[in-house]
Amino acid sequence: MAGSPAHSVDLAALLAATALPFFSFLAIIVATRGRPKVSAGLSIGAAAVCLGCSIGLLAFHSGLSAPIEFSTSLIASSGLNIPFGFLVDKLNLLMIVVVSTICFLVQVYSLGYMAKDPGFSRYYAFMSLFTWAMMSLALSASLLQLYFFWELVGLSSYLLIGFWYEKWSATQAGKKAFVMTRAGDAAFFIGILLLFIHTGDLNIAHLDSRSALAGVPPSFITLSAILIFGGIVGKSAQFPLLTWLPDAMEGPTPVSALLHSATMVAAGVYLFARLYPFFSLSPTAMSVFLAIGTISMLLASTMAMVSRDIKKVWAYSTISQLGFMIMALGAGGYFAGVFHLTTHAGFKALLFLCSGVFIHRFETNDVFELGRLGARRMLIPMISMVLGAAALSGLPPLSGYFSKEAVMGSLAGLPDHVWLAAGLCGVFLTAYYSFRLIFILLFPRERVSGEPEGAHGAAHKAEYGAMALPLIILSTVTVFLGFFETPLRHFIGVAGEVGQAPTWPHTAALALAVAGAAVAWIEFGRKGAAQIGFVERIEPLHRLFAERWYIDHFYGLLVNRVVDRGIARLCELNDRKVIDGSIDGLCEATVESGRVVATLQTVMVQYRLLAIFAVLVLLALYYYY
Amino acid sequence: MQMEPASFPFLSAILLSCVVGMITIIVIPEEKKLLIKQVSVFFSGICLLLSVYVFFAFNRSAGGFQFVENVNWIPSLGISYFNGVDGFSLPNILLTGIVFFTGVLTMWELETRVKEYFALYFVLVAGVFGLFMSLDLFFIFVWYDVSLFPMYLLIAVWGTTRKEYGAMKLTLYLLAGSALILPAIIFLWAKSGLDTFSFVSLMHPGLFTPSVQKFAFLLLFIGFGILAAVWPFHTWSPDGHVAAPHGVSMVHAGVLMKIGAFGVLRLAIMLCPLGWIYWAKLMAVLAIIGIIYGALAGLRQTDLKYVIGYSSVSHMGVVGLGLSTVTVEGLNGAVFQMFAHGIMTALFFSSVGYIYDRTHTKNIPELGGLSRIVPVASAFFIVAALAGIGLPGLANFWGELVVFLAAFKVYPLFGVIAVVTLVVTALFMLRVVQKTFYGPANPRYAALRDVTPWLGVPRIILVAVLLILGLYPALLFNVIRTASVPFMNGLPR
Amino acid sequence: MIAPFSEVLVVAGILFALGAFCAVVRRNLIMIVLGIEIMLNAASIVFVGASLHLSNLDGQSFVLFILAVAATEVSVGLAIIVYAFRRTGSFDPGNFNLLG
Repeated sequence: MAGSPAHSVDLAALLAATALPFFSFLAIIVATRGRPKVSAGLSIGAAAVCLGCSIGLLAFHSGLSAPIEFSTSLIASSGLNIPFGFLVDKLNLLMIVVVSTICFLVQVYSLGYMAKDPGFSRYYAFMSLFTWAMMSLALSASLLQLYFFWELVGLSSYLLIGFWYEKWSATQAGKKAFVMTRAGDAAFFIGILLLFIHTGDLNIAHLDSRSALAGVPPSFITLSAILIFGGIVGKSAQFPLLTWLPDAMEGPTPVSALLHSATMVAAGVYLFARLYPFFSLSPTAMSVFLAIGTISMLLASTMAMVSRDIKKVWAYSTISQLGFMIMALGAGGYFAGVFHLTTHAGFKALLFLCSGVFIHRFETNDVFELGRLGARRMLIPMISMVLGAAALSGLPPLSGYFSKEAVMGSLAGLPDHVWLAAGLCGVFLTAYYSFRLIFILLFPRERVSGEPEGAHGAAHKAEYGAMALPLIILSTVTVFLGFFETPLRHFIGVAGEVGQAPTWPHTAALALAVAGAAVAWIEFGRKGAAQIGFVERIEPLHRLFAERWYIDHFYGLLVNRVVDRGIARLCELNDRKVIDGSIDGLCEATVESGRVVATLQTVMVQYRLLAIFAVLVLLALYYYY
Repeated sequence: MQMEPASFPFLSAILLSCVVGMITIIVIPEEKKLLIKQVSVFFSGICLLLSVYVFFAFNRSAGGFQFVENVNWIPSLGISYFNGVDGFSLPNILLTGIVFFTGVLTMWELETRVKEYFALYFVLVAGVFGLFMSLDLFFIFVWYDVSLFPMYLLIAVWGTTRKEYGAMKLTLYLLAGSALILPAIIFLWAKSGLDTFSFVSLMHPGLFTPSVQKFAFLLLFIGFGILAAVWPFHTWSPDGHVAAPHGVSMVHAGVLMKIGAFGVLRLAIMLCPLGWIYWAKLMAVLAIIGIIYGALAGLRQTDLKYVIGYSSVSHMGVVGLGLSTVTVEGLNGAVFQMFAHGIMTALFFSSVGYIYDRTHTKNIPELGGLSRIVPVASAFFIVAALAGIGLPGLANFWGELVVFLAAFKVYPLFGVIAVVTLVVTALFMLRVVQKTFYGPANPRYAALRDVTPWLGVPRIILVAVLLILGLYPALLFNVIRTASVPFMNGLPR
Repeated sequence: MIAPFSEVLVVAGILFALGAFCAVVRRNLIMIVLGIEIMLNAASIVFVGASLHLSNLDGQSFVLFILAVAATEVSVGLAIIVYAFRRTGSFDPGNFNLLG
C-alpha cells in the first residue's frame, strides 16, 4: 500500500470521498439536528469534496491502464479473510463522477425544495448517508464489501422514501421498497456465499480477471451468476421485482431524482458492468439477463403509457431504461450499457428535478392538473423538461440519442433479431409516453387564468434560484454529453467492440422515435386532439396497464394470504394450541389429579375410619385363614 | 489446556461487587429510592468497568483459560470454587456487564418496591456472572439456579401482561431444564471416575466413551436448549418477555437466553464432542425450524414485546445453526451472534420499556405516529430493528454472515432457507416500526416528553456497541477464535 | 377373684366395637373423639389384662403412655373441634370440605 507519493494522494482522495459524507451524517445526527443551515452546509460541503475528489481522480487517471487497488484485510473470523478497500478502474472512476455530480446537484436543489420542511436536518443526514454508501459501493474492492454498502444504500432509500413518515402511503412504500429489494438481495447474498465457498476469493478484480475461477465448473458459475443477478433485479427494479419503484415516488422529489432514477437504481446495472467479465463466462446466464431486461423494459413502457402521475411516468421510464441497459450488457455491449447509464443519469435526474419544480409550485402530481395550472409558463423547468424528454426518446443531438443508438447497435449484433425488434418497439413506446406527457403539459385543454409566476416573496425567489441552477447545469450536460461518445469509448477501453454493425437499426430507431413522438402529437398535441391515448380506448388493456399487469395483486396475495394468513397463522396456532396447549394441559392435568386425590381426604372423616376398619378386618381374616 | 492464574481475582471481584451491592441496597431504608438507584448504578458500573477491563486485558495471543482462581471447597466430592475465562465466556461476561449496567439505568423511573427490585436484580446478575465464569460443573449448576429464582419474583411482582402465568411458565420450563442438567452432570461425574467436578479435568477427549457422550449430550442439549429457546421448547420465552418488567426483559432476553446457548457450548459441546458430532444434524434441524418459525410467528403478533420475543427465537436459531455446523466458523459466528443479539434485544426492550412507561400500552394498533412526538426514543428502537434485520454496519450482520457461511458449507439447503428468512424478518420488523412510529401523530400521546439523559445513556451505550462491532467485528472475533480454534483442532475425528 | 383372660378380651372387644361404632356412625365431632377414646381404653384393658396374664409389667407401662397420649390428644383434638365449631357453627364432619 501507498508505494509512491502519487498513490498516497490517491488514497487520501479516496478516503476523503468516502469518509467525509459519513462523518457529516454522524455530525448531523448527533450535533446539528436543531440547526438546519449548518446541517445543509455540512452535507453539501461533503458532497462538494466528493465531487472534487472524483473529478480530480478521473482527470489524473484518464490514461489508466491497470486497475489500482488499495486493500486492508478485515479478519472477520479465521478462515474468512475479506479484503476491505478501494478498487479504482475506469468504470468506477466514471461512476463516482456521475454519482457525486448528481448528489451534489440534488443537494443544492434540495435547499430550495425542502426549505420549509421540519425535517430539514434529518433530510440532509440521510442524504449524506446515501452519498457515503453509494460512493463506497462504487469503489468497493470485494464483493462482500459491495454487498455491505449495497444494503446501506437500500437503508438510505428506505429512510428517504419514508421521509414524510406521517404520510401512511410513504411509509408503506418505503417498507415495500426495502423488503422487495431485500428479496433480491437474499439471492445476491446466497450467490456471494456460494462463490466464496467454492473459490475462497471475493475480490472483484480477481473474479473479473477470472484468476479466481480456475477449475470451477461452468454450471456453478451459471448458478452463482444468476443468483447474484437476483440482487440486480431487486435494486434496479427489474421484472419480477419492479413494482416497488413507482411506489417509491412517495418520497420527496429530489430523492426520486437522486436515488430512484439516476444513481441508486443504477447500482444494479453498475454491478452488472462491474462483474461483466465474470457474467460473460456463462452464456446461459447472459441470455437470462437479456430476457429479463427485455421483459422489464416492455412491461414498464406499457405502464408509463397510461399513468397520470408525472413522477410515476418517469419512474416507469426509469425501469424501462434500466431494462435497456441490462439488455445492452446482456447482449455483450459493455460500452453501450455503461454509456446509457451515464447519459440516463443526467437526463433522468433532469426530468425529475423539473417535475419537482412543478410539484413544489402547484402541489399536485397529476399531469393534466399541472398543465391546466400553467406549468408551461415556468420557462426554465419547461424547456429543460422538453430537452430531457427528447433525450429520453433518443432524439438527436441530445445525449440519449447517442447512447440509445449504441444500445441498438449491440442488440443488432445478436444473431437472433427478436431482441432487436423488442428494443425498437421499446424505442417507439418511450418516445410515445415521453411526448404524451410533454404535450399534455404544453397544450392543456382548459386554461386557468391564475397568474403562476406572481405573488412570490423574496424567499420564494431564492428557493427557485437554488432549484433552477442544477436544472441549467443538467440541461447543458444533456445537450453536450452525447458528443463525448468517442472519447468515452476510448476511455472505457473497448473501442471498436461493436465492429462495423449495419446502420439500418440506427435509422430504424431514429425513425421509430420520431414516429412515437408523432403519434403522441396526433393524440395529445395537435389542436382539437382529445388527449386520449390509443391504449385508453381499449378498456381491458388500459386496466391491465394501469394495474401494472396485476403484479402487485400477486404480491399482495402472496404476502397477505399465503404468508400472513396462511403459514404464519399456522405457526402461531401451533404455538398457542399445540405446544402451549399440551404444556398447559400437562400442568392442568397435574393440578386436576391432585384435586381428585384431595377429594378422598375431605368431608366425612368417618369414611376413612370405616375403611381402616374394613382393611384391618380383611387383613386379620387373610392372616387367620 | 493452558491456565494462567490471576494476579488479582478480577472475576471474584465482579461477583463480590454484585453481592456487596445487594447487601448495601438491603441496608438502605426503603424510602430513599433515589439513593438506592444511585447505589445500584454505582455497583453495576463497577461490574461493567471490571468486565471491560477483563475483556481488554485478556491475552489474545495466549488464549486458553485466563484470570483463573481455584479454591478447594469440598475436596471429598471434588468440588472447588474454580473460575476462569476463555474466548467463549469472555464476550458473555462483557455482555452481562453492559446489559446489567444499562438495565439498571433503564429502570431509573421505577417507583414501586424499588429496594426489593434492585436487590433481586443484583442476585439475578450475580448468578449469571457466576455461571459464565465458573469452571466447576457443580457451581455451574448452582449458579444456574441462583439466576433462576429471582426471575420468578421479578416477573410475578413487577411484571405486566399475564405476569403470574408468564412467571410460572418460565420457572417451570427452566426447572425442567435443570432437572435434565443435574442428572447429566452427575452422570458425567460418575462416569469419569476422577472424583472431580472440575471442567478442565473433565474436558479431555477420550475420557468418556462415545455412548456416554451421546447420552449426556442429549440431556445437556435439551436442558440448556430450553433456556436458549430451541424450538419446540421456545414458548416460555415470548410469554416470559412479555410479562417481565423491561429491565428484567433486557437481562432475560439479552443474557439469560445466552446462558442456554453458552451452556450448550460449554457443557454439552466441549465435554461431549462426540455426542455433538453425532447429534449435530438434529441440532441443525431444530435450529432452522426455530429460525423460520420465529420469524413467521413474529409476523402475526400485535404486542410489541411478543414481536421481539419471537424475533429472539428466530435469532437464537441462528446461534443454534452456528453451533450445529461443527466448524470453527460456526462456533465463531454463534458466539458473536450471541453477543450481538444480547445487545440488540437489550436495546429493543429498553426502548419498548420507555414507550410502555409513557403510553401504558404495548399493543401496536393503539400506538402509531410516535416518531413525531418522541423522535429520539423512536430512533433507538429503529436502530435495534435494523440490527435485527441484519443490516451491515451493525453487529448482527457479522454474526449472521459467519454463521450462514459455515452453514452453507455443511448444510447448503438450510443456509438458503436461513437467508430467505431474512426477508420475512425484514418484513415484520419494518411493519412494527411502521405501525408504531410512523403515520400521523396520535393526539393521545401528544404530551409525551422525549428521552431524558438518564434514560438516554443506556441506549447510547447499546447503540455505540452495536455500531463499533458492526464496523470493526475483529474486536470480538479475535477473542472468540482463541477458544474455538484450539478446541476444534483438538477434536477427535 | 381373677377374671380369666378370655373374658377380659371379650369385654375389651365389646368396648372396642362400641367405640368403633360410635366413631363411625355418629355425626358429631365430639362423639367421634369420644368413640376414639373408648377404643383407646379398650386397647388399654387388653394391655393390662395381657400384662397380668403374662406376668410382664411392660403392658402396664404402656397403659401409662396411652393415658398420656390420650390426654394430649383430647386436648389438641378438642381445641381443633372448638376452632372448627367457631368457623362453621357446626359439629358435623360433613361440613369440613375445604380440601375438596
